Amino acid sequence: MRPISSQFLVLKTTALFILWVMLSGRFDLFHLGLGVSLSFLVAWINSGHSPFVPRFQIWGKILLYFPWLFTRIVQSSLHLTKLILHPRLPIQPRLIRYESTLQEPPAVVLLGNSITLTPGTITAEVNGQLLLVHAMDEVSGQDVTSRRLESKIADIFGEKAPSP
Amino acid sequence: MTTFFLFVLVVLVILIGAYLYRVLQGPTIFDRVLGLNGISTKAIIVLVLMGTVFERVDMFVDIATGYALLNLMGALAVAKYLEQKGLP
Amino acid sequence: MEFVSIVFILAGLFFLIVAAIGVIRLPDVFSRSHAVSLTDSLGAFLMLVGIAFHEGLSKNVLKIIAVLALLYIQNPVIAHATVRAALRAGLKPWQRETS
Repeated sequence: MRPISSQFLVLKTTALFILWVMLSGRFDLFHLGLGVSLSFLVAWINSGHSPFVPRFQIWGKILLYFPWLFTRIVQSSLHLTKLILHPRLPIQPRLIRYESTLQEPPAVVLLGNSITLTPGTITAEVNGQLLLVHAMDEVSGQDVTSRRLESKIADIFGEKAPSP
Repeated sequence: MTTFFLFVLVVLVILIGAYLYRVLQGPTIFDRVLGLNGISTKAIIVLVLMGTVFERVDMFVDIATGYALLNLMGALAVAKYLEQKGLP
Repeated sequence: MEFVSIVFILAGLFFLIVAAIGVIRLPDVFSRSHAVSLTDSLGAFLMLVGIAFHEGLSKNVLKIIAVLALLYIQNPVIAHATVRAALRAGLKPWQRETS
Protein backbone atom coordinates (compact mmCIF):
# COMPACT_ATOMS: atom_id res chain seq x y z
CA MET A 1 0.00 0.00 0.00
CA ARG A 2 1.25 3.44 -0.85
CA PRO A 3 1.97 5.87 1.96
CA ILE A 4 -0.95 8.19 2.46
CA SER A 5 -0.22 11.86 1.91
CA SER A 6 -2.02 13.86 4.56
CA GLN A 7 -2.57 16.86 2.27
CA PHE A 8 -4.39 14.72 -0.24
CA LEU A 9 -6.51 13.18 2.53
CA VAL A 10 -7.58 16.61 3.78
CA LEU A 11 -8.49 17.71 0.23
CA LYS A 12 -10.60 14.64 -0.39
CA THR A 13 -12.36 14.97 2.97
CA THR A 14 -13.20 18.61 2.26
CA ALA A 15 -14.64 17.82 -1.16
CA LEU A 16 -16.79 14.99 0.19
CA PHE A 17 -17.97 17.16 3.08
CA ILE A 18 -19.05 19.95 0.73
CA LEU A 19 -21.04 17.36 -1.23
CA TRP A 20 -22.61 16.11 2.02
CA VAL A 21 -23.71 19.58 3.08
CA MET A 22 -25.12 20.25 -0.37
CA LEU A 23 -27.16 17.06 -0.37
CA SER A 24 -28.35 17.06 3.24
CA GLY A 25 -29.03 20.78 3.69
CA ARG A 26 -29.19 20.63 7.51
CA PHE A 27 -26.83 22.52 9.76
CA ASP A 28 -27.32 21.12 13.29
CA LEU A 29 -24.46 19.54 15.19
CA PHE A 30 -25.49 15.92 14.68
CA HIS A 31 -25.66 16.05 10.88
CA LEU A 32 -22.45 18.07 10.51
CA GLY A 33 -20.54 15.72 12.81
CA LEU A 34 -21.85 12.66 10.99
CA GLY A 35 -20.82 14.25 7.69
CA VAL A 36 -17.27 14.99 8.86
CA SER A 37 -16.71 11.51 10.25
CA LEU A 38 -18.25 9.72 7.27
CA SER A 39 -16.37 11.74 4.66
CA PHE A 40 -13.10 11.23 6.55
CA LEU A 41 -13.79 7.49 6.67
CA VAL A 42 -14.53 7.29 2.95
CA ALA A 43 -11.47 9.37 2.05
CA TRP A 44 -9.24 7.23 4.30
CA ILE A 45 -10.50 3.97 2.80
CA ASN A 46 -9.99 5.27 -0.73
CA SER A 47 -6.64 6.97 -0.26
CA GLY A 48 -4.49 3.92 -0.94
CA HIS A 49 -4.52 3.40 -4.66
CA SER A 50 -4.76 6.68 -6.51
CA PRO A 51 -1.66 8.29 -8.03
CA PHE A 52 -3.74 11.36 -8.86
CA VAL A 53 -2.27 14.63 -7.63
CA PRO A 54 -4.43 17.75 -8.09
CA ARG A 55 -2.78 20.66 -9.86
CA PHE A 56 -4.69 23.80 -9.00
CA GLN A 57 -2.95 26.05 -11.51
CA ILE A 58 -4.77 24.44 -14.44
CA TRP A 59 -8.26 24.45 -12.90
CA GLY A 60 -8.83 28.09 -13.82
CA LYS A 61 -7.97 27.37 -17.43
CA ILE A 62 -10.32 24.38 -17.41
CA LEU A 63 -13.13 26.60 -16.09
CA LEU A 64 -12.48 28.96 -19.00
CA TYR A 65 -12.47 26.00 -21.39
CA PHE A 66 -15.99 24.79 -20.55
CA PRO A 67 -17.91 27.82 -21.95
CA TRP A 68 -15.98 27.50 -25.22
CA LEU A 69 -16.83 23.79 -25.36
CA PHE A 70 -20.45 24.66 -24.72
CA THR A 71 -20.63 26.99 -27.74
CA ARG A 72 -19.19 24.14 -29.85
CA ILE A 73 -21.84 21.79 -28.41
CA VAL A 74 -24.64 24.18 -29.36
CA GLN A 75 -23.30 24.64 -32.89
CA SER A 76 -22.88 20.94 -33.60
CA SER A 77 -26.27 20.20 -32.01
CA LEU A 78 -27.95 22.56 -34.44
CA HIS A 79 -26.07 20.89 -37.31
CA LEU A 80 -27.12 17.42 -36.13
CA THR A 81 -30.73 18.60 -35.74
CA LYS A 82 -30.68 19.77 -39.33
CA LEU A 83 -29.30 16.39 -40.45
CA ILE A 84 -31.92 14.37 -38.55
CA LEU A 85 -34.92 16.44 -39.64
CA HIS A 86 -33.83 16.48 -43.29
CA PRO A 87 -36.26 14.28 -45.28
CA ARG A 88 -33.52 12.49 -47.24
CA LEU A 89 -31.28 11.87 -44.18
CA PRO A 90 -28.00 13.07 -45.76
CA ILE A 91 -25.62 11.46 -43.27
CA GLN A 92 -22.26 9.98 -44.21
CA PRO A 93 -20.94 8.13 -41.16
CA ARG A 94 -17.23 7.51 -41.07
CA LEU A 95 -14.48 6.31 -38.77
CA ILE A 96 -11.55 8.69 -38.33
CA ARG A 97 -8.20 7.43 -37.09
CA TYR A 98 -6.63 10.21 -35.11
CA GLU A 99 -3.16 10.34 -33.62
CA SER A 100 -2.89 12.90 -30.85
CA THR A 101 0.33 14.48 -29.67
CA LEU A 102 -0.77 14.90 -26.05
CA GLN A 103 1.60 13.25 -23.61
CA GLU A 104 -0.25 13.12 -20.29
CA PRO A 105 -3.13 10.67 -19.69
CA PRO A 106 -5.41 13.37 -18.11
CA ALA A 107 -5.12 15.44 -21.28
CA VAL A 108 -6.09 12.47 -23.44
CA VAL A 109 -9.04 11.75 -21.12
CA LEU A 110 -10.23 15.35 -21.42
CA LEU A 111 -9.87 15.19 -25.20
CA GLY A 112 -11.86 11.96 -25.45
CA ASN A 113 -14.58 13.25 -23.16
CA SER A 114 -14.88 16.50 -25.10
CA ILE A 115 -15.14 14.61 -28.39
CA THR A 116 -17.86 12.34 -26.99
CA LEU A 117 -19.76 15.20 -25.37
CA THR A 118 -20.00 17.04 -28.69
CA PRO A 119 -22.98 15.64 -30.61
CA GLY A 120 -21.94 14.27 -33.99
CA THR A 121 -18.61 12.83 -32.91
CA ILE A 122 -18.00 9.96 -30.51
CA THR A 123 -14.79 8.33 -29.33
CA ALA A 124 -15.02 4.65 -30.17
CA GLU A 125 -11.62 3.42 -29.06
CA VAL A 126 -8.69 4.87 -27.14
CA ASN A 127 -5.30 3.20 -27.17
CA GLY A 128 -2.53 5.32 -25.75
CA GLN A 129 -2.44 8.30 -28.07
CA LEU A 130 -4.38 6.71 -30.90
CA LEU A 131 -8.08 7.60 -30.98
CA LEU A 132 -10.75 6.11 -33.22
CA VAL A 133 -13.52 8.66 -33.73
CA HIS A 134 -16.90 7.93 -35.28
CA ALA A 135 -18.27 11.06 -36.96
CA MET A 136 -21.69 11.68 -38.45
CA ASP A 137 -20.46 13.53 -41.53
CA GLU A 138 -17.58 15.67 -42.65
CA VAL A 139 -18.78 18.91 -41.04
CA SER A 140 -19.26 17.27 -37.63
CA GLY A 141 -15.80 15.79 -37.70
CA GLN A 142 -14.14 19.05 -38.63
CA ASP A 143 -13.33 20.05 -35.05
CA VAL A 144 -11.38 16.84 -34.60
CA THR A 145 -9.63 16.72 -37.93
CA SER A 146 -8.60 20.36 -37.86
CA ARG A 147 -7.03 19.79 -34.38
CA ARG A 148 -8.76 22.82 -32.84
CA LEU A 149 -9.88 20.86 -29.78
CA GLU A 150 -6.45 19.38 -29.30
CA SER A 151 -4.63 22.70 -29.46
CA LYS A 152 -7.04 24.13 -26.85
CA ILE A 153 -6.35 21.19 -24.51
CA ALA A 154 -2.60 21.37 -25.12
CA ASP A 155 -2.84 25.02 -24.12
CA ILE A 156 -4.57 24.09 -20.84
CA PHE A 157 -1.98 21.50 -19.87
CA GLY A 158 0.94 23.64 -20.95
CA GLU A 159 2.15 21.34 -23.67
CA LYS A 160 3.29 22.53 -27.02
CA ALA A 161 0.53 22.96 -29.55
CA PRO A 162 0.26 20.41 -32.37
CA SER A 163 1.24 21.47 -35.84
CA PRO A 164 -1.86 21.58 -38.05
CA MET B 1 -47.70 26.85 -14.52
CA THR B 2 -48.68 23.44 -13.11
CA THR B 3 -50.72 22.76 -16.24
CA PHE B 4 -47.68 23.52 -18.37
CA PHE B 5 -45.54 21.14 -16.35
CA LEU B 6 -48.14 18.40 -16.66
CA PHE B 7 -48.20 18.95 -20.43
CA VAL B 8 -44.40 18.62 -20.58
CA LEU B 9 -44.62 15.44 -18.49
CA VAL B 10 -47.10 13.89 -20.91
CA VAL B 11 -44.86 14.72 -23.89
CA LEU B 12 -41.85 13.20 -22.11
CA VAL B 13 -43.72 9.98 -21.43
CA ILE B 14 -44.66 9.75 -25.11
CA LEU B 15 -40.96 10.20 -25.97
CA ILE B 16 -40.11 7.35 -23.58
CA GLY B 17 -42.49 5.30 -25.71
CA ALA B 18 -40.36 6.10 -28.76
CA TYR B 19 -37.25 4.85 -26.99
CA LEU B 20 -39.16 1.78 -25.83
CA TYR B 21 -39.83 0.95 -29.46
CA ARG B 22 -36.07 0.88 -30.00
CA VAL B 23 -35.55 -1.29 -26.92
CA LEU B 24 -38.12 -3.84 -28.05
CA GLN B 25 -37.34 -3.72 -31.76
CA GLY B 26 -33.60 -3.04 -31.93
CA PRO B 27 -31.74 -5.34 -34.32
CA THR B 28 -28.71 -5.81 -32.06
CA ILE B 29 -28.40 -5.90 -28.31
CA PHE B 30 -26.42 -2.65 -28.27
CA ASP B 31 -29.47 -0.83 -29.61
CA ARG B 32 -31.39 -2.05 -26.59
CA VAL B 33 -28.68 -0.88 -24.17
CA LEU B 34 -28.63 2.50 -25.87
CA GLY B 35 -32.40 2.80 -25.67
CA LEU B 36 -32.33 2.00 -21.95
CA ASN B 37 -29.70 4.70 -21.44
CA GLY B 38 -31.90 7.25 -23.19
CA ILE B 39 -34.91 6.18 -21.11
CA SER B 40 -32.96 6.69 -17.90
CA THR B 41 -31.97 10.24 -18.89
CA LYS B 42 -35.65 10.97 -19.56
CA ALA B 43 -36.58 9.42 -16.24
CA ILE B 44 -34.22 11.77 -14.41
CA ILE B 45 -35.85 14.78 -16.08
CA VAL B 46 -39.32 13.39 -15.32
CA LEU B 47 -38.40 12.96 -11.65
CA VAL B 48 -37.16 16.55 -11.29
CA LEU B 49 -40.26 17.86 -13.09
CA MET B 50 -42.52 15.84 -10.79
CA GLY B 51 -40.67 17.41 -7.88
CA THR B 52 -41.63 20.87 -9.12
CA VAL B 53 -45.25 19.77 -9.54
CA PHE B 54 -45.40 18.38 -5.99
CA GLU B 55 -43.24 21.28 -4.68
CA ARG B 56 -40.75 18.88 -3.08
CA VAL B 57 -37.78 19.38 -5.44
CA ASP B 58 -35.16 18.67 -2.76
CA MET B 59 -36.47 15.15 -2.16
CA PHE B 60 -36.99 14.26 -5.81
CA VAL B 61 -33.56 15.52 -6.84
CA ASP B 62 -31.99 13.10 -4.37
CA ILE B 63 -33.95 10.24 -5.92
CA ALA B 64 -32.81 11.39 -9.38
CA THR B 65 -29.17 11.41 -8.25
CA GLY B 66 -29.43 7.86 -6.93
CA TYR B 67 -31.11 6.75 -10.14
CA ALA B 68 -28.37 8.32 -12.27
CA LEU B 69 -25.63 6.57 -10.29
CA LEU B 70 -27.41 3.21 -10.52
CA ASN B 71 -27.80 3.72 -14.27
CA LEU B 72 -24.07 4.44 -14.63
CA MET B 73 -23.10 1.24 -12.84
CA GLY B 74 -25.62 -0.87 -14.72
CA ALA B 75 -24.67 0.44 -18.16
CA LEU B 76 -20.94 0.00 -17.51
CA ALA B 77 -21.46 -3.56 -16.26
CA VAL B 78 -23.58 -4.53 -19.29
CA ALA B 79 -21.10 -2.94 -21.72
CA LYS B 80 -18.15 -4.69 -20.08
CA TYR B 81 -19.96 -8.03 -20.15
CA LEU B 82 -21.00 -7.74 -23.80
CA GLU B 83 -17.50 -6.64 -24.79
CA GLN B 84 -15.99 -9.85 -23.48
CA LYS B 85 -18.77 -12.09 -24.68
CA GLY B 86 -19.11 -10.76 -28.22
CA LEU B 87 -22.24 -10.77 -30.31
CA PRO B 88 -24.79 -13.39 -29.20
CA MET C 1 -38.87 34.70 -14.60
CA GLU C 2 -41.71 32.33 -15.46
CA PHE C 3 -41.43 33.34 -19.10
CA VAL C 4 -37.70 32.60 -19.21
CA SER C 5 -38.23 29.17 -17.68
CA ILE C 6 -41.02 28.35 -20.15
CA VAL C 7 -38.77 29.31 -23.07
CA PHE C 8 -35.91 27.15 -21.78
CA ILE C 9 -38.16 24.14 -21.15
CA LEU C 10 -39.76 24.38 -24.59
CA ALA C 11 -36.33 24.59 -26.26
CA GLY C 12 -35.18 21.53 -24.32
CA LEU C 13 -38.35 19.70 -25.28
CA PHE C 14 -37.66 20.47 -28.94
CA PHE C 15 -34.21 18.87 -28.75
CA LEU C 16 -35.61 15.85 -26.88
CA ILE C 17 -38.21 15.33 -29.62
CA VAL C 18 -35.54 15.63 -32.33
CA ALA C 19 -33.40 13.05 -30.50
CA ALA C 20 -36.33 10.63 -30.25
CA ILE C 21 -36.99 11.02 -33.99
CA GLY C 22 -33.31 10.36 -34.62
CA VAL C 23 -33.30 7.25 -32.45
CA ILE C 24 -36.13 5.84 -34.56
CA ARG C 25 -34.90 7.00 -37.98
CA LEU C 26 -31.14 6.52 -37.98
CA PRO C 27 -29.74 3.30 -39.44
CA ASP C 28 -27.29 1.75 -36.96
CA VAL C 29 -25.97 1.73 -33.39
CA PHE C 30 -23.20 4.24 -33.94
CA SER C 31 -25.36 6.95 -35.47
CA ARG C 32 -28.13 6.33 -32.93
CA SER C 33 -25.65 6.95 -30.15
CA HIS C 34 -25.12 10.43 -31.61
CA ALA C 35 -28.85 11.09 -31.22
CA VAL C 36 -28.78 9.91 -27.60
CA SER C 37 -25.82 12.18 -26.87
CA LEU C 38 -27.82 15.06 -28.35
CA THR C 39 -30.50 14.35 -25.74
CA ASP C 40 -28.03 14.27 -22.92
CA SER C 41 -25.90 17.26 -23.71
CA LEU C 42 -28.40 19.88 -24.81
CA GLY C 43 -31.94 18.66 -24.11
CA ALA C 44 -31.39 17.76 -20.46
CA PHE C 45 -29.29 20.89 -19.95
CA LEU C 46 -32.00 23.24 -21.23
CA MET C 47 -34.79 21.44 -19.33
CA LEU C 48 -32.94 21.47 -16.01
CA VAL C 49 -31.86 25.10 -16.42
CA GLY C 50 -35.50 26.00 -17.07
CA ILE C 51 -36.57 24.20 -13.89
CA ALA C 52 -33.81 25.99 -11.96
CA PHE C 53 -35.14 29.35 -13.21
CA HIS C 54 -38.61 28.35 -12.04
CA GLU C 55 -37.29 27.44 -8.59
CA GLY C 56 -35.57 30.78 -8.09
CA LEU C 57 -32.59 31.26 -5.78
CA SER C 58 -32.58 28.51 -3.17
CA LYS C 59 -30.61 25.45 -2.22
CA ASN C 60 -32.63 23.41 -4.69
CA VAL C 61 -30.76 25.15 -7.51
CA LEU C 62 -27.48 23.81 -6.12
CA LYS C 63 -28.91 20.30 -6.12
CA ILE C 64 -30.14 20.64 -9.68
CA ILE C 65 -26.68 21.83 -10.73
CA ALA C 66 -25.21 18.76 -8.99
CA VAL C 67 -27.49 16.46 -10.99
CA LEU C 68 -26.53 18.31 -14.18
CA ALA C 69 -22.81 17.94 -13.46
CA LEU C 70 -23.36 14.24 -12.77
CA LEU C 71 -25.17 13.82 -16.10
CA TYR C 72 -22.38 15.63 -17.96
CA ILE C 73 -19.74 13.41 -16.36
CA GLN C 74 -21.49 10.08 -16.73
CA ASN C 75 -23.10 10.28 -20.15
CA PRO C 76 -19.91 10.41 -22.25
CA VAL C 77 -18.61 7.47 -20.24
CA ILE C 78 -21.72 5.38 -20.93
CA ALA C 79 -21.82 6.31 -24.62
CA HIS C 80 -18.13 5.52 -25.06
CA ALA C 81 -18.46 2.18 -23.25
CA THR C 82 -21.45 1.10 -25.37
CA VAL C 83 -19.87 2.13 -28.66
CA ARG C 84 -16.57 0.50 -27.80
CA ALA C 85 -18.34 -2.73 -26.89
CA ALA C 86 -20.23 -2.63 -30.19
CA LEU C 87 -17.02 -2.04 -32.13
CA ARG C 88 -15.11 -4.79 -30.34
CA ALA C 89 -17.98 -7.22 -30.79
CA GLY C 90 -17.48 -6.84 -34.51
CA LEU C 91 -20.27 -4.56 -35.70
CA LYS C 92 -19.40 -2.58 -38.80
CA PRO C 93 -20.56 1.05 -39.12
CA TRP C 94 -23.32 1.61 -41.64
CA GLN C 95 -22.17 3.37 -44.79
CA ARG C 96 -24.06 4.89 -47.65
CA GLU C 97 -23.66 2.99 -50.88
CA THR C 98 -21.69 5.16 -53.28
CA SER C 99 -23.38 5.01 -56.62
